[in-house]
Amino acid sequence: MSASFEEKSVWIQLLSLFLVMGGYFVVAARMWDAGVTPIAAYVPLFAGAVVLLVVVQVAGHIVAAITSRQTGADERDRLIGWRAESNAAWILGVGVLLAIGGLAMSIDNLWVAHLLLAAMLLSELTKYALQLAYYRLGV
Amino acid sequence: MGQTRISNAIRQLRFAAGEMTQQELADRVGVTRQTVHAIEAGKYSPSLEVAFRIAGVFKQPLESVFVYAAEPDVGRD
Repeated sequence: MSASFEEKSVWIQLLSLFLVMGGYFVVAARMWDAGVTPIAAYVPLFAGAVVLLVVVQVAGHIVAAITSRQTGADERDRLIGWRAESNAAWILGVGVLLAIGGLAMSIDNLWVAHLLLAAMLLSELTKYALQLAYYRLGV
Repeated sequence: MGQTRISNAIRQLRFAAGEMTQQELADRVGVTRQTVHAIEAGKYSPSLEVAFRIAGVFKQPLESVFVYAAEPDVGRD
């Protein structure tokens, strides 16, 4: 069965988020290893990653739109989206609780920010992976 | 995930309707072709509204298109 535009969109978001934000974390880890600790030093890197993410996703969706018949999301697409989001949201919740714990223990803001960012990233990646599983295995 | 407990006769009904394609049925029902494929394969149970629309396309009562395989004790008094 060929993939619908909606399923291709999920693939694009999963891969682009993994590659671009994964790249951000690799570079950020090297910066931290080199002794860069002011959080402001990471802002341009993060902004660049977000811009790159938008560009890659727009380009990916243009290609997907050209190669797919677009009928819009139907009830199955919406159910898959809701169920995946519901089953992945706890990851962000755990990340927020850990960040609050980190603040209570006065850890560096850089760690708190990246803990929240990592939780958001993992939650989104899990959501997209679950969506793809539901598309292929049934929901 | 996996197979639903609802089986259906959509494939046979499409064949009887002059080999109607999944895309034709999807267009008439208002869902994607992939959703029609998932329903036919028993990987997705459609909403009542979509089920009625599918039955309506084939001019059949709902129970002629979809059959629920209930457990023996379910629904008994």
